[in-house]
Amino acid sequence: MDRIRGFLMRPRRPDANVARLRRRKQLAAYIYRNLTKLTSALFIIGYAWMLLIPIPLLSRGTYIDENALQPAQVNTYWNWGNVHTADLQLYQLDGIRERNFTSEQRAELFRTEFSKLGLAASIQNYTFSTSKGTISGNNAYAVMSSPRAAGTEAMVISASWLSTAGHGALNLRGISTVLSLAAFLKDYSLWAKDIIFIISDDYLHGMHAWLNAYHGTIPSNLHTDPLEHTSGVIWTALNIDYSSHSFSHLGVFHEGLNGRLPNQDLINSFRLISHYTGGVPMTVYDHLEPSDSVDRSPEQSIFPSWVPPFIQQSPQLQQYGYGVRNVVRHIGYQARGMCSGVHGLMHQFRIDAITLFAVPADGPHGFYALGRIVESTLRTMNNLLERLHASFFFYILTSPGTFMKIGMFLPSAILVSVAMLFKGLGEWVTAGWVYEMSEASLKGNETEKPSPAKDTWRNRRRPLLSALIIVVATHVLGVLVFNLVCSRWFAEHPSFLAPTIFVAVSVIPPILLPLLSTNAPEAAPTSMLLKSSNLCLASTVISIMSLLNFSLAAMLAITMGVPLATSYTSSSTMTSRLRYAGYCMLAWGWLVLVPGEVESAIWNWEVLGVWFAPFICIVYAPLVMQAAIVCLQGS
Amino acid sequence: MRRASIWIFLACLCIPSFALYRGEIYSEDLRIQPLRDGRVSTTFSFITVLEGAVPRNPKALGQLDESQHYALFPLTLGQILREYAITELHLTLNAGKWNYDNWGHPHEAGVGTGAELWAWMGASEVTTVDERWSGLRNALSGLFCASLGSLDSRRTLSPTVAFPLSGSTPTFAPHELRHASLPSESVCTENLTPFLKLLPCKSHAGLAALLNPQKVFDADWHGMGIHVTWKEDTGVELKLILQAVFNPVRTSTGKRRDWNLQSLFDRSIERSCPVASSSSVTVILPEEKGYQITPENPAHVNGLVIYDLSSSSNFTIPSNIAMYWPSEHSFQYPLPPLTPVTPLSVKRIIHGTTQTRGVLSISVTNNSPQEISAGYLEMMPALLTLWMHTLKVEVNSQIRNDLLSGLKYHPPSPQSNDRLSPSMLQAVLTIPPKTTLKISMEVNKAFLKYTEHPPDAMRGWDLPGAVFFPLPQSSHDTSSSYDWERIYTPTLLVDLPTPDFSMPYNVIILSCTLMTLIFGSIFNLLTRKWVVVEIQE
Repeated sequence: MDRIRGFLMRPRRPDANVARLRRRKQLAAYIYRNLTKLTSALFIIGYAWMLLIPIPLLSRGTYIDENALQPAQVNTYWNWGNVHTADLQLYQLDGIRERNFTSEQRAELFRTEFSKLGLAASIQNYTFSTSKGTISGNNAYAVMSSPRAAGTEAMVISASWLSTAGHGALNLRGISTVLSLAAFLKDYSLWAKDIIFIISDDYLHGMHAWLNAYHGTIPSNLHTDPLEHTSGVIWTALNIDYSSHSFSHLGVFHEGLNGRLPNQDLINSFRLISHYTGGVPMTVYDHLEPSDSVDRSPEQSIFPSWVPPFIQQSPQLQQYGYGVRNVVRHIGYQARGMCSGVHGLMHQFRIDAITLFAVPADGPHGFYALGRIVESTLRTMNNLLERLHASFFFYILTSPGTFMKIGMFLPSAILVSVAMLFKGLGEWVTAGWVYEMSEASLKGNETEKPSPAKDTWRNRRRPLLSALIIVVATHVLGVLVFNLVCSRWFAEHPSFLAPTIFVAVSVIPPILLPLLSTNAPEAAPTSMLLKSSNLCLASTVISIMSLLNFSLAAMLAITMGVPLATSYTSSSTMTSRLRYAGYCMLAWGWLVLVPGEVESAIWNWEVLGVWFAPFICIVYAPLVMQAAIVCLQGS
Repeated sequence: MRRASIWIFLACLCIPSFALYRGEIYSEDLRIQPLRDGRVSTTFSFITVLEGAVPRNPKALGQLDESQHYALFPLTLGQILREYAITELHLTLNAGKWNYDNWGHPHEAGVGTGAELWAWMGASEVTTVDERWSGLRNALSGLFCASLGSLDSRRTLSPTVAFPLSGSTPTFAPHELRHASLPSESVCTENLTPFLKLLPCKSHAGLAALLNPQKVFDADWHGMGIHVTWKEDTGVELKLILQAVFNPVRTSTGKRRDWNLQSLFDRSIERSCPVASSSSVTVILPEEKGYQITPENPAHVNGLVIYDLSSSSNFTIPSNIAMYWPSEHSFQYPLPPLTPVTPLSVKRIIHGTTQTRGVLSISVTNNSPQEISAGYLEMMPALLTLWMHTLKVEVNSQIRNDLLSGLKYHPPSPQSNDRLSPSMLQAVLTIPPKTTLKISMEVNKAFLKYTEHPPDAMRGWDLPGAVFFPLPQSSHDTSSSYDWERIYTPTLLVDLPTPDFSMPYNVIILSCTLMTLIFGSIFNLLTRKWVVVEIQE
């Protein structure tokens, strides 16, 4: 035992220890000396990585991970007779559109249609109260209890009254598909799970009300009765969006609220089924692949018109351009926490859901292909013995057949965040030292040996208190602004209140700043400490966000990365005022510049519970304001 | 000579099976009822009575049992009953969700989804009730090819009020009840084959000839039951029940609700079972007119048509029994608002989306104009913890605690084998006429050890349905209440916190890295020698 101890604890040679400590010191000094180079390199690599995300080299082909799914392995029974049923339903729906049915009348009609099939059908009335008044509507739904099934699991097929296509387009064909599928699916005994058919009112809030009532998580601003018919746990859902008269491709929309994504197996199975069962190519969103859209390239190209044609037509660049469009669209949805369709409301309830969007075209597909594809997809979902859990939940679809794993895109935001962290820690070290002129040594208290250099570095205190007060104050200000923006007053007079709030939040900090006692001259200046804490805080926020919502983290890395790292106290008052104004614009400029975005973000927060609006007000804007105050402090 | 003796020997063998054995009576019946949603409910019951037989006294378990000679009673089941001294046994295996609102009460009450087993046994010092219960489970699981062996102490309870002795109470020993259910058990052909083997004519003759697995297991609902009871004046009665709800509207081409035996079962009765003392098909006629039934039978009694198929009757076996609606083109489903057929309709759901907690809510609606008192029984595996202090009883969103009485709650108790028994909640509900009573209580979901998860961990856990049962009535007030039997609610699926089993490689890497980091740094600190090192500038 002693020998073992002796072996393990054998003393190192003293000079080895000394060398090791020296090496460590030298390394730290080296990093500190080259900090600017290091952080610049990290910034450049990080941003360049973001630009490279759409290149095909970083993506890999999709594959089915869950063996139980067996996509496109069944014979489908949907036939032209069922297409005729769908056509009849569409004829009836056209009638109610022309007669301008109210929401109640529509729901009553759908309920009757479901009841005629012998399904347990009902209507849900709901009312949301928001700062802009109340929103109400009526959902119709039906539960098909599958033969021999215990009814503990369920699948959902839904269609909303309005289409994703926008401009008030009605999803009439989507609804006829759901109604005719209900008539068709109930004639088979092969379903192992209950099937719930939902025709939700409006675009998003109808389904949101239904889902909350189904799961018993009714928020305080929603008034609705408990559902009359319920079924088991919903595992998967398909939302059908088919507004035009025929379609050429089926687009998949998959982003959910607050950046959630459905399991990738669902999208991949759908792609195979769409291709092999229906003969319809799948696309991501309504973006056609470059090879598919030869005739439509002008409006779908990312290149401006002055770019020479030989560059525009290069296949690699076209592929890159296609990837860019998909990634930008994805980031646009995910960073704002918005869902790209009705399916996105379901992810928060652990339901894997996608929207099938029939890309408008003159042909060649219609109800026949869609019915077969939906039937086959339902059969695949019906095969599930467990929840979808095998494939990926964090991914970026760069094209229908390729995707990026989390490891291929996450480092870009993390590198920027690391650069900010290094910068902040560097600032912290700098704040701890002061460079003293040789007078100090002249004062000389019995220093016999003459110092090799006349000037010396001296330690100084770093009192964090005043910096922390500023940090807390900015975040409190953010909370106040958020409450104001969500108030009834703001909803009523946005054009007056938005500029007022913007001016107020920009003017208040310079007024209040002198009240704060400045640090003693021998201590580190508050601006340096504030900058250091600001950078460290922002870096932490970006790293954490990158795991929860990569797109938001990437946007934060772009908007906060370089600006926060380059904030400094200028000697000239004019420059510092200008810089302050610039940072204010970056922090709060959205109040005046994009009123439409503000309105939709508030609606999303109040009705759907999207965290984007509070996050911007309480986390993002205060962080940028701290950088603004750094600029202001020296003056 | 040699050949003749063989014939005589064979004839001797055959005599007991053709002559009615004294003391054993076998009868069979098929009830067919068209339902209002176009479906057809069929109930086969095969009853064998051992006249004068008495269940085995458990105190005599150590001694040699009397010899068992049966002609009609299945020996395999008889041996199990004698071996474990079972006084009363009920086993049901069902698939699907019984729709009380549209189909009414079933002819046989045990329609809970999955497997349910309960037995009354006399207590004895020779072998304890629990030992015999365990043996019974395993024996039946072998006999019926069902996973009844997993109905262990984690699922066993003794709810004596809801599941009373349905026969007579033997006086030789105090009796105890063991009840367990397995909601995730699925029922298929491998359960039907042993079931048919218990019948004296198997599926060769009589009503059982209709039991075509392909058709029975395509029905919207199907289930089988084995019920053994003892009645003092008759003896031991074995009742084999098979119920199925067919959907002719789904299977017919013209979406019509017409049915006949041939279309329902794709088989016909060629000959009657010779040992059956009675064999009949009973059709319960619907209330609304417009139907026709063939063959015409003048014997309409209280809306019933009875066809006697037994060999002793002079009625010839009808080749097919059919019912049809000549004036109907295709079946029109009744449109809402529909009033449920049963006076009570029950819903039970678990709300909440997190994996740690939820709310169990039950709503009971009294559709009748009279007040109904019902017993409510919840047998919850220890996967869920019910919080009694959050129990709320509401009528029209007003708290009405006075409607709930006689609350009994047994929290999960640890067993000898380190497992938790289920918790049992029993109460009496008084439901005012034409109102809905809502009960809700918060639940916590258990955090299991990773070895306790099943192979399909991401599916969730099936919870048995709750049971509503009529209260034992005293004789004088039977007039006020209607006659009903147990109601089972549908089963539930609940998500518990589940580790990501699909990525063992990542989990191993992550946990090993963590272990190495912790171990490495602590080991380093423990074995390091701390010295002061001078560094010259």
